[in-house]
Amino acid sequence: MASQIIREWLGINSFAPATQTKLLELLGKLNQENVNSLTILVMGKGGVGKSSTVNSLIGERAVSISPFQSEGTRAVMVSRSRAGFTLNIIDTPGLIEGGYVNDMALNNIKSFLLNKTIDVLLYVDRLDAYRVDNLDREVVKAITDTFGKGIWNRALVVLTHAQLSPPDGLPYDEFVSKRSEALLKAVRLGAGLRRQEAQGSAIPVVLVENSGRCNKNEKDEKVLPNGTAWIPHVVQTITEVILGGSKSIFVDQKLIEGPNPNARRKFLIPIILVLQYFFVVKPIERQIKSDIARESRPSWEMRDTGSRKY
Amino acid sequence: MLAAAAPSTPTTLPSSSSSSTRKLAATAAAATATNNNARRPIVKCCAFSSSSPSSPLSQNPKPSSDLLKNVAKTIAGVTTVTLILNLSNFPAFVGGGGNSGGGGGGGGGGGDGSNGGGGGGGGFWRRLFRPQVANADEPQSQQEWDSHGLPANIVVQLNKLSGFKKYKVSEILFFDRRRWSTVGTEDSFFEMVSLRPGGVYTKAQLQKELETLANCGMFEKVDLEGKTNPDGTIGVTISFTESTWQSADKFRCINVGLMAQSKPIEMDPDMTDKEKLEYFRNQEKDYKRRIERARPCLLPAPVQREVLLMLREQGKVSARLLQKIRDRVQKWYQDEGYACAQVVNFGNLNTKEVVCEVVEGDITQLVIQFQDKLGNFIEGNTQIPVVKRELPKQLRPGYVFNIEAGKQALRNINSLALFSNIEVNPRPDEKNEGGIIVEIKLKELEQKTAEVSTEWSIVPGRGGYPTLASLQPGGTVTFEHRNLNGLNRSILGSVTTSNFYNPQDDLAFKLEYVHPYLDGVYNPRNRSLRVSCFNSRKLSPVFTGGPGADEVPPIWVDRAGMKANITENFNRQSKFTYGLVMEEITTRDERSHICSNGQRVLPSGGVSEDGPPTTLSGTGIDRMAFLQSNITRDNTKFVNGTIVGERNVFQVDQGLGVGSNFPFFNRHQLTLTRFFQLKEVEEGAGKPPPPVLVLHGHYGGCVGDLPSYDAFTLGGPYSVRGYNMGEIGAARNILELAAELRIPVKGTHVYAFAEHGNDLGSSKDVKGNPTEVYRRVGHGSSYGVGVKLGLVRAEYAVDHNSGSGSVFFRFGERF
Repeated sequence: MASQIIREWLGINSFAPATQTKLLELLGKLNQENVNSLTILVMGKGGVGKSSTVNSLIGERAVSISPFQSEGTRAVMVSRSRAGFTLNIIDTPGLIEGGYVNDMALNNIKSFLLNKTIDVLLYVDRLDAYRVDNLDREVVKAITDTFGKGIWNRALVVLTHAQLSPPDGLPYDEFVSKRSEALLKAVRLGAGLRRQEAQGSAIPVVLVENSGRCNKNEKDEKVLPNGTAWIPHVVQTITEVILGGSKSIFVDQKLIEGPNPNARRKFLIPIILVLQYFFVVKPIERQIKSDIARESRPSWEMRDTGSRKY
Repeated sequence: MLAAAAPSTPTTLPSSSSSSTRKLAATAAAATATNNNARRPIVKCCAFSSSSPSSPLSQNPKPSSDLLKNVAKTIAGVTTVTLILNLSNFPAFVGGGGNSGGGGGGGGGGGDGSNGGGGGGGGFWRRLFRPQVANADEPQSQQEWDSHGLPANIVVQLNKLSGFKKYKVSEILFFDRRRWSTVGTEDSFFEMVSLRPGGVYTKAQLQKELETLANCGMFEKVDLEGKTNPDGTIGVTISFTESTWQSADKFRCINVGLMAQSKPIEMDPDMTDKEKLEYFRNQEKDYKRRIERARPCLLPAPVQREVLLMLREQGKVSARLLQKIRDRVQKWYQDEGYACAQVVNFGNLNTKEVVCEVVEGDITQLVIQFQDKLGNFIEGNTQIPVVKRELPKQLRPGYVFNIEAGKQALRNINSLALFSNIEVNPRPDEKNEGGIIVEIKLKELEQKTAEVSTEWSIVPGRGGYPTLASLQPGGTVTFEHRNLNGLNRSILGSVTTSNFYNPQDDLAFKLEYVHPYLDGVYNPRNRSLRVSCFNSRKLSPVFTGGPGADEVPPIWVDRAGMKANITENFNRQSKFTYGLVMEEITTRDERSHICSNGQRVLPSGGVSEDGPPTTLSGTGIDRMAFLQSNITRDNTKFVNGTIVGERNVFQVDQGLGVGSNFPFFNRHQLTLTRFFQLKEVEEGAGKPPPPVLVLHGHYGGCVGDLPSYDAFTLGGPYSVRGYNMGEIGAARNILELAAELRIPVKGTHVYAFAEHGNDLGSSKDVKGNPTEVYRRVGHGSSYGVGVKLGLVRAEYAVDHNSGSGSVFFRFGERF
């Protein structure tokens, strides 16, 4: 994987000129901050549009999309460079299989990510799902268990299928905010973030519409029903998150295996041993001694002191 | 010993005691037979015991049934070994007076002395309790007797009787001249006379009897008259005047055992008054010195006070009172197990103080002997100090022999498991008057034993039907070499397999060397070294599914290694063990292939091999060395068959960083169990046991490297009942709490319990988190009720996690 060829980012040319300008502007901004590579990890349940989002962001059909089946269990990294700036996007298989978190997929992702730095996590879900259930929390928990809580400081919640008309005549913005609220809550719970932690660095929510029938504005940019051009918006949010000051996540062996419980407090063992000897073994020994002293002896044993000589 | 004593004992004794002996032997043998393990040679129980020393005055003592019962109990409590505590009749320790009186005494054997008649003056009352049964050694067997040949109903003086005739005595009457009345046979004096109604006696015998009575010191005056009966028999009337002395207000009890009996100097009838006075004064002085030299006796103050009260109430000291005092004192000794103690004399009468002289039965010698199967004395293999250290010190020379100490010795020696037959035998010391030699006779067990036990198992062959080829021979080969060097060291080895054709499949072996008395056999510290090689195979409870989870493929944990530890026994139950364990742990899957990770069933139905790691090294084979130490404090005891008390166990396994992946860990567990007796009950056989509340807590924890096979599991019959082994979880730290209430019902008990097990959130700290992988909760409670049926517990337990209850049958105790 490491020997993957970094290709020139040609897909950027397929974007509308306005989008291109915006993107280059953002990349330049990153370059100014001495950030010349960006690794984006895309994760989420199966069938929510992860691969499509990757393709949309790159601007070309970089990863295959398999709309009706699970896409295998391998993660794929797409790398593109443009003007000295490298963009890596890692597409991952869906984490859910048969109603459970697929540990094997997770393990594969982990080993794929070994020795890579994750700058941004895109947690992908659909906007048009109305309910947040336990499964969402499980997925978030699995991600948290793997990368630690810190990953959520570098995360965006991406809601796909953004072009929809809300049911019951809800205003679009209200529907979006309700949906993101519910999802963010699931993320908070699943990640075990405390309220103030979560509020301190609110996870931004971005909307994505990967469909080719996506509405376009006068500048030929793909726009959402609320009028924002979503590709520049996504990239901008990513830039903001990167420049937000939090640390990116470096995936090493330790992170993959989680904190090694076997190593924890190992240095205390000699002290524990000494404490055990003096505060458990010795008192029990003393108790035994006193038991023996208090043992009720038969009277014949007590009476005859044997002082007599013959 | 019994044989030696028999001639001097009353004729009634041997028969009565031997009959009860026979009974005892029968019951004991029955007890032995039922408990006998078939593979041991059946040891015939040859227990016999004669009655305890009868009170010297008693002519027809009852065999001491208490003693017999006790001995029977002792024997019944032991399964394969015969234990005998012989208590022969102690004829008399008085003996040696060498007095001229009482002709027949010399023949009595067993150190039986004759009666000193002469020394009774001056407040002395010698030989009070030695009415010599002169007739005993003369043949009594002849049935024919002679008619008196005199007119009926006349009173004949003794000296008027014919010396050639054998008179049949039809009745014996006692006439108390002081009270002027006839006393019945229940009177304590009656037992002093050896004559029996219906007996046939010559004049010489009757004269001797009279002489004996006259000399015994009980009577001031005693006469014997015959009264002729029409049928040719005679009635004998013994008329007497009881001796009395000044009233006394002091009582003293001394042990005169092992002291030379003061020989009364023959009083010269020609002595002048002055000489007589001198003589008495000397005697008094001698006696004072004797009292001073004598050692205090064991008689406790309360009994002494009781006797004093008897003295004060009575006023004058009479022979009957002395008899009563003697009975009281001797009863105390008998009750307390001083089976050889006897009151031999009362001295210092007429001086306001009664001195009770007791021969308590001081041990002068302890002899340990070995016998072969035929009962010949041989030189034993066992070293004497090994036996000696098991004896209570009360059996050593210088102490007073006590039957309880003897029983204790029996139990202790039996626990050595070296002897097939153990006898503890007190016998009088001929060289040391009043002394007791304690003899311990031992029959040793075979040193080397080997055993093969086989079993055939029929394994379903092809198509499910057993074929001839599917018969599998299996079994165990055991050999033992015990008592190496006579120091109770032993080597024990055993090999077990269920299939001798393919023993590599499941060969289990154990080789153990035990070295007791590590600090030397003379050192009271009881430490023993144990070195063993072992292997074992167990199903790991870590790889078990939670409730409702799919079947989890099992993991077998094979351990093979060496262990060396030192155990220090503080007392019977409490001990401290510490040692080194080196072992190799191999984890295998169902098909006995070594596996490094647990398997799990995927949601898709496939099986994945990427479950929690089974070993620390990740290869499926771990080697490690660690120190293991265990301290157990146990002061539980049985109250009417129910256990009461408390038990604390603390165990630490300290890894040394030696082995695969340098395992360094501290794995510790503390178990506290309390058995509260909820009601005071009277203790004794057959009494109902008290209700008991059991509280139990178990904490286990580990810091450092923790392979999954060493993780603490929750659930199971010895953890949280109502769950399967490991069904609740496998964790790094656990806490188990349990309470059980036991109510005795008709010889058994019913109980109710509630238990809880918790992983304290530490399941995730086990590598691979097997608790979560196999969908277990990590904590769980249960409650239920049960009844104990013999060894089996039948219980209904409700598992609180799923809320369902089920019935279990378990062997053994939970706590």
